[in-house]
Amino acid sequence: MNHRGGWALIQQTWLSWMQHRSFFFLLAFGWMVPPLIYLFVWSTAARGGTIGGMTRGAFVTYYLVLIVVNQLTYAQTNWTVGDLIRDGRLNQLLLYPMSPLYNTLATEIAGKVVYMIFVIPITAVLALGLRPELHLSVTQVIAFIPALGLAWLLRFFWGYWLALLAFWITRADSLLSLQDALIFLLAGQVAPVALLPGVLKTAAIALPFRYMIGFPVEVLTGQAAGIDLAAGFAFQIGWTAAAIILYLALWRRGVRHFTAIGG
Amino acid sequence: MPQSQIIVQDLSKTYRVPEREPGLRASLKSLYRKTYREVLAVKAISFRIEAGERVGFIGPNGAGKTTTLKMLAGLLHPSGGEARVDGFTPWQRKPDYLRQIAMVLGNKSQLMWDIPAHDTFRVLAEIYHVPASQFDATLGELVDLLDLGDLLSRPVRNLSLGERMKCELAASLIHHPAVLFLDEPTLGLDVSMQRRLRQFIAEYNHRHNATVILTSHYMADVVELCPRVILIHHGELLYDGPLAGLSEKLAPFKLIRLALSEPAGDNLPEEAHVVSQENGSLTLRVNRRETAAITAQLLRTLPVVDLSVEDPPIETVIDQIYQEGTV
Amino acid sequence: MLQPLRLIRIFIETSVKNETAYNANFWVSLLNSLLNFGTGILGVIVLFGQIETVGGWSFASTLTVLGVYLTVGAVRDLFISPSLDSLTGMDGEVWIGTFDFTLLRPVDTQFLASVRRWRLFALFDLLLGLGVLIVAVLRLGTALTAAHLITFLAALAMGTITLYAILLAFSGLVFWSPGFLFSWVFNGIFQMARYPVRLYPGALRLLLTWVVPVGVITTIPAQALTGELSPAALIGSLGFSIALFTGASILFRGGLRRYASASS
Repeated sequence: MNHRGGWALIQQTWLSWMQHRSFFFLLAFGWMVPPLIYLFVWSTAARGGTIGGMTRGAFVTYYLVLIVVNQLTYAQTNWTVGDLIRDGRLNQLLLYPMSPLYNTLATEIAGKVVYMIFVIPITAVLALGLRPELHLSVTQVIAFIPALGLAWLLRFFWGYWLALLAFWITRADSLLSLQDALIFLLAGQVAPVALLPGVLKTAAIALPFRYMIGFPVEVLTGQAAGIDLAAGFAFQIGWTAAAIILYLALWRRGVRHFTAIGG
Repeated sequence: MPQSQIIVQDLSKTYRVPEREPGLRASLKSLYRKTYREVLAVKAISFRIEAGERVGFIGPNGAGKTTTLKMLAGLLHPSGGEARVDGFTPWQRKPDYLRQIAMVLGNKSQLMWDIPAHDTFRVLAEIYHVPASQFDATLGELVDLLDLGDLLSRPVRNLSLGERMKCELAASLIHHPAVLFLDEPTLGLDVSMQRRLRQFIAEYNHRHNATVILTSHYMADVVELCPRVILIHHGELLYDGPLAGLSEKLAPFKLIRLALSEPAGDNLPEEAHVVSQENGSLTLRVNRRETAAITAQLLRTLPVVDLSVEDPPIETVIDQIYQEGTV
Repeated sequence: MLQPLRLIRIFIETSVKNETAYNANFWVSLLNSLLNFGTGILGVIVLFGQIETVGGWSFASTLTVLGVYLTVGAVRDLFISPSLDSLTGMDGEVWIGTFDFTLLRPVDTQFLASVRRWRLFALFDLLLGLGVLIVAVLRLGTALTAAHLITFLAALAMGTITLYAILLAFSGLVFWSPGFLFSWVFNGIFQMARYPVRLYPGALRLLLTWVVPVGVITTIPAQALTGELSPAALIGSLGFSIALFTGASILFRGGLRRYASASS
């Protein structure tokens, strides 16, 4: 493993991303809007009472945390990996004495840092204005950390194996649109998973999307507790393992296919 | 006496370019006090062009040629001076004026990319109010003169650069403009295609009396196509007249080419500037007025086998002007 | 004169040819339309699965707002966005440098920039939006009179003009600040118009009514159908959309003049 090379790459990528930070801030702004809309809609709906056990303040907390978690776990691999394959630039990466995974990780980390520079202050300001309610217990915080880590891992590798499909199909636009819609519905954006109606709720619990965004949020806010917490972690670990397996399998076959046909 | 078609009087264009110095302090300062630098792109130039003339604008990059062209096409507002084309003030951009002119930009395309050029032509015909019958006739003539064949039915993105330039020219002529502005139309084309396009432009000008104003860095374009050139350098008009007169007026020297039976040694007159010297041949540059005297001297002192006296090639003159500003 | 109409006709014809030059787009467009439609509807269904009214708005009336949003969005995608984007968008003429050709045409530049390119697939989105509106109106159960319909159509027209004006203004701003992703920012803000403006808190509501008036675009036409629209509000939004349109046109034309003085 080439650690020095990897670290240098991360630093360099971060610097170049900071150059274009206004571009990325605007991008982050665009991604923040859907959760914000539902923050307002649900908190207005819950005014003066509770919905599904959540007060107005609880909804505010839920969505503010969701905004941060969403940005932290957001998968950019379609551009950082998919485009490289489609352009043929992957060839260059395959020449380096380190796995292309480093390159993707470098852009991943660089991007996250730049987005956070924008998202965290904004979220803090919003929190000041909107008065969230948060009852934190030690267990919630302790459980949140692995939940968040796994969520990032899951979303990263899930995005990675999808991006690797670029080895075989030229345009994955439809897949991406479908995925975006599923994430919107089932990952806790349109509503916390607990409030989804029957069929959707079952789908959300079974499919991986909730575990990319919604689940860590629920852990921190205390919505997922006891059996739900354990079951959630089980699903999360299972889907993460599946994503990594898919990534490894597709990577090996993909590189063989790619180098066989000359990129 | 009838008025000239194009009358330009003291036309000027000055840009204000924000000054940006490197360094953090300078960037912070620029936040509350912007300093500007004035760039005098065109400085009070004047000329007249008659209908049907073919005129070449020459000059180094950044000299102001394209800026002048764009002012005449109405794309830019001048900072000072006047211009009238066919009685119109170009930058007022009256529709009746815009219907009289056309522009071709060498490195930019006005054709829609994914569909055949013919479709762009139809849109242009509609935009310029060209009646259907006239459109068919014009198109027929252009297909014939430019040898467009089946180029018009293929998507533009599948055409080679030369084929595309033919279509660009055709597109600009759909509405029979009275004045044609060509900004580097032969850029990047191979020699035979350049020649082909030059022939077409000359033929079209001859048939329809359309005024042609051309800028080009290829001397062949200017030499073959433009009996008259206007030289613009650093925004100023340095010369306006026949191309042949350019070297005479601006480069008062001649080249003497000698073929020698033995090397010349140091036996050369002082006033003669050596341009090139290889085994047996020698090229000298001398002042026009001294040509006769120096030629006589060379014939006396050197073992000359053959001698000829020439005007310097246009390229050399122009190069010299570009480098020195004048000669 | 008929000239503008003939021009529009040939622009539509040419746009169709352009679109069909690439086949793959059709299925992707279909999927995207359905997803956009589906997620919008499901959002409202999930919300009202938990509660009867939100801020005075019921399921049916909120659905009306969504219907207006989809309809106006379809009109925008039909010709306003494609045309303006071809000028000042990401791969637009101003960026690539072929804007000079457009300036050379003996046709008003603002007109060209606004109707030049059409995306007929948006008609499908329009149908979906109208479908939602019909379902919403049926569920509302209010008796629709001719007066209602006329008011609604007027409000819808004004909402569309307001949307056009905002997009035109953003387009004009590109002449001052080329790199800024104006349309991306606006799309984000416009998403908020899916829901009635009253659902948003005070400061944001003011922003969405007066600064970037997306509230005018969707909420007011919806109120015309639910019967809650006061004549004052209607007249107000008429004046507002006219003022916005005038201001945006002035801004855009100012941008053109700036381009003509500053560019080389």
